Amino acid sequence: MNYVYDFASVFRNADTLIDGLSLSLEIAAAANLIAVFGGFVIALLLLSPSRLIRLPATLFVEFFRCTPFLVQIFWFFYCVPMLLDVYLSSRALGILALSLILSTFNAEAFRGAVQAVPRDQIDAGIALGLSPFQRVAHIIFPTALRLVIPVLLTNGILAFQTSSLLSLVAVEELMFSGKMLSAKIYRPIETFTVVALIYLVVSLPVSQWVGWLERRRVRAER
Amino acid sequence: MSNSFKSARPDPLLRIDAVYKSYAKGAPVLRGIDLEMAAGERVVVIGPSGGGKSTLLRVVMGLEQIDDGAITFAGASYVTVTGRRTRIDARVRRSIGMVFQNYTLFLHLNVVGNLILAPCKVNGESRKTATARALTLLDRFGLAEKADAYPSQLSGGQKQRVAIVRALMLDPALMLFDEVTSALDPELVAEVEQVILQLAGQNLPMIIVTHDMWFARRIASRVLFCAEGRIIEDGPPEQVLGSPRTERARDFVHRVFHIGG
Repeated sequence: MNYVYDFASVFRNADTLIDGLSLSLEIAAAANLIAVFGGFVIALLLLSPSRLIRLPATLFVEFFRCTPFLVQIFWFFYCVPMLLDVYLSSRALGILALSLILSTFNAEAFRGAVQAVPRDQIDAGIALGLSPFQRVAHIIFPTALRLVIPVLLTNGILAFQTSSLLSLVAVEELMFSGKMLSAKIYRPIETFTVVALIYLVVSLPVSQWVGWLERRRVRAER
Repeated sequence: MSNSFKSARPDPLLRIDAVYKSYAKGAPVLRGIDLEMAAGERVVVIGPSGGGKSTLLRVVMGLEQIDDGAITFAGASYVTVTGRRTRIDARVRRSIGMVFQNYTLFLHLNVVGNLILAPCKVNGESRKTATARALTLLDRFGLAEKADAYPSQLSGGQKQRVAIVRALMLDPALMLFDEVTSALDPELVAEVEQVILQLAGQNLPMIIVTHDMWFARRIASRVLFCAEGRIIEDGPPEQVLGSPRTERARDFVHRVFHIGG
C-alpha cells in the first residue's frame, strides 16, 4: 500500500482534539464524582434487609447492566427531555446519563466489597462488644473501602471510555472532535490513531495504579 | 429463681443448660450440651472436626442463635430462647473475650489502633488512657516494638498474640480460644501457646478448642471430648487424655497423639 501517512495535519489541528479531550475529562470526572455517592446510596438499598427496598434497587441496577450503553444514552437523550419536559445542555445530559450508568456499576462494586468483608472480622467486632452501627463504621466500611477503591477506579476508566459513545448524540467530546477533524482533513487513519492514543495515555496510568493497589492489598492480607 | 435457694454452692462462672443448635440446612450441630464451669477452670475441648467444638465456643461468645436451651454467666441470664428467637445479653457478652482461628486484626488499623478501638468506642475510655494500657500490655507480652506496626507487617504468631492482647484490653472474665494456632506455621505455635500459658498462670478462666494434645495436657484443668454435638467425656486431663472411658474418645486420642507426636 502506498499510502502516505500525514500525522502533521492532525497535530496542526491539535486544539480541536484538546477541546474534545477536556470535555471528555470533565464529563468523566463529574460522572465519577456523582457516581461514587450515587453508587454508595444504591448499594445501601441493595444491602437492605427489607425486600421492599431491595427490589426496586435491584431492578434499577439490572436494567442498566442488561441493556447496551448506547441504547441507554439514546433513550436518555430523547426520552428524558420529552417525558420530563426539561431541556438540558447536551453536556449536562451526557454527565447525567454517564452518572447513572456508572452509579449502577459502582453500586455493585460497593455491594460486593461489603459482602466480601470476612465473616471473622465482623465476629471479632461482636466479640469486642461493638454495636451494629459501630461494626459498620469501624470495621465493615473501612475494610470494604480497601476492597472497593480499585474497582471504582476501573469503573472510572470505563466511564471515561464510554463517554466516547456520547459523540453519537452530538456531545462535542474527544471522539466527536475526532470525527469532525477527520472529516475536515480527510485523514481518518491518522486522526483516529491519535484519538485512540489519547484515550490510552489517559487510561493507562490509572489502570497501572489499580494493578499496584491490588498487589499491595493482596500482600497486606497474607 | 433467686440465688438464695441454691446458696449451698456458689454460682458457676458459666452454666450451659441443654443447648441445641442446628444451622439452617443440615444436621444439628449441638444436641443437648450441659456444662458448668467454675471460675478457676481451664477447659480444653477436643474432638473430631464437625463435632461441634467451634460452634460451642461461638454459642458461648454469643455469636450464634440457638434452637433451645439457656446460658447463664456469673449468675446473670445471658443467652435465652423464647419461641424461635434467641436473646443474647450484650452487656454480659462484654465480659467474654475470644480469639479466632483466622487472623481477625483489622487491617486498616495499626496494633495500638486495634487494641484501643473497643475500649474507646464501647467503654468510652479516653484515647490517652487506652493507649497507655495498650502499651503496658504489649510490653508484658513482648510486643512493645510492634505498637505502630500494621497487621500486614506482623508474622502469623505476632498477629495472634496481638489478637489475644486485644481481647485482654476489655478485661474479660472468661477467654475463649478457637484453634488459635492451627493456621500457624509450626515454628510460630509455641510463642502463641506461651502467651496462653502466661494467662493461665494468672488464673484467667478459659475454654480452649485445640488439636494440639500436648498443649491440651499442659494447660487444661479439665478436658471435654466432644463429638456429634454432645459432650462424651468430661474429666481431668490425665483421665480424658490418658485413659478415656469411651471407645470413641480412646480411638480419637490414640490417633491424634500418634499423628501429632
